[in-house]
Amino acid sequence: MKKASLFLIPITLFVLLSVFLYKGLYGDPRQLDSTVLNKPAPNFALPDLMQPDVIYDPSIFAGQVTLMNVWGVWCVTCAVELPYLTELSQQGVRIIGLYYDQDTDPDFGIKSIPTIQKEVAAKLAQLGNPYEFNVFDVKRDYSLDLGVTGAPETFLIDKQGVIRMHHIGDINTRVWRTKIAPLYNELIAQ
Amino acid sequence: MKKLILLFVLFTSPLWALEEAYTFDDPVKQKMFLDLTEELRCPQCQNQNIADSDAMIAHDLRRKVYELLNEGKSREEIVDFMKSRYGDFVSYQPPVTPLTIWLWLLPVIFVIGAAWFVFTQRKKQVNDFDEDVLAKADSLLEKEND
Repeated sequence: MKKASLFLIPITLFVLLSVFLYKGLYGDPRQLDSTVLNKPAPNFALPDLMQPDVIYDPSIFAGQVTLMNVWGVWCVTCAVELPYLTELSQQGVRIIGLYYDQDTDPDFGIKSIPTIQKEVAAKLAQLGNPYEFNVFDVKRDYSLDLGVTGAPETFLIDKQGVIRMHHIGDINTRVWRTKIAPLYNELIAQ
Repeated sequence: MKKLILLFVLFTSPLWALEEAYTFDDPVKQKMFLDLTEELRCPQCQNQNIADSDAMIAHDLRRKVYELLNEGKSREEIVDFMKSRYGDFVSYQPPVTPLTIWLWLLPVIFVIGAAWFVFTQRKKQVNDFDEDVLAKADSLLEKEND
């Protein structure tokens, strides 16, 4: 009996440790628990990127299932996912952009709004435009409220304006089919 | 020579590479700013604090810390502000929860367990001592000495 426990205890500890380390080996450290999940989208009042007179607030989410894609022309991965997002929007998925530009930051130098608009228009003409419109996160305060760590990131927001998914990284066929589409279809059916 | 020494001092002091000059009138706030940017972790380039990181998010978080300090927010309020957006992950000071308490408990349990194991094993060895074997060894030794 004593012999058995002497043998079993180290084995159990070893197995537990192995499972723990094995999980760590394949876990993605960038997949953090989002703090905005299952909460209404934080409040904001931000201009449209192309028509700065138009000011948006969270009512833009009312009544429709929305993908809000955080992006910028400076972001390489965003350019990679633009064609696929365009395909999705052609299939009827409502996508709006949350645009942020590092060059409006005092740390990186000031870029004028017409310059940004020109760059965005050129990028979208080249790779496809999936966006119904772009909300311009001028000082990136809204991104901060949403817990955005970089770009691209995408939020799936339901008809009540509640954030249901926070995806970090690009959206491609695999991510859409396995991760986002099941919940999206469920939300659409509601 | 003086210039050389000055250069040496400049390049060896362990200063974080802060490009933006965030200055405060109040030295207490200045100190708190440095402490906070060292304690807050960059969510993008993990394993760097926001003072050390050059990622855009780190710039944004530094600016936010600066703004909040100037609004008169306390240290706890600022840490809570960041945690409510980026989770407990954003702070290098983990909170004590039923899950994280093991970080402190496990080493203590291990030390106590190991001490108990060593202690009981030693006792057993003493108890298991065979008098016959000792007598045999003694006689062998005596033989050799003769």
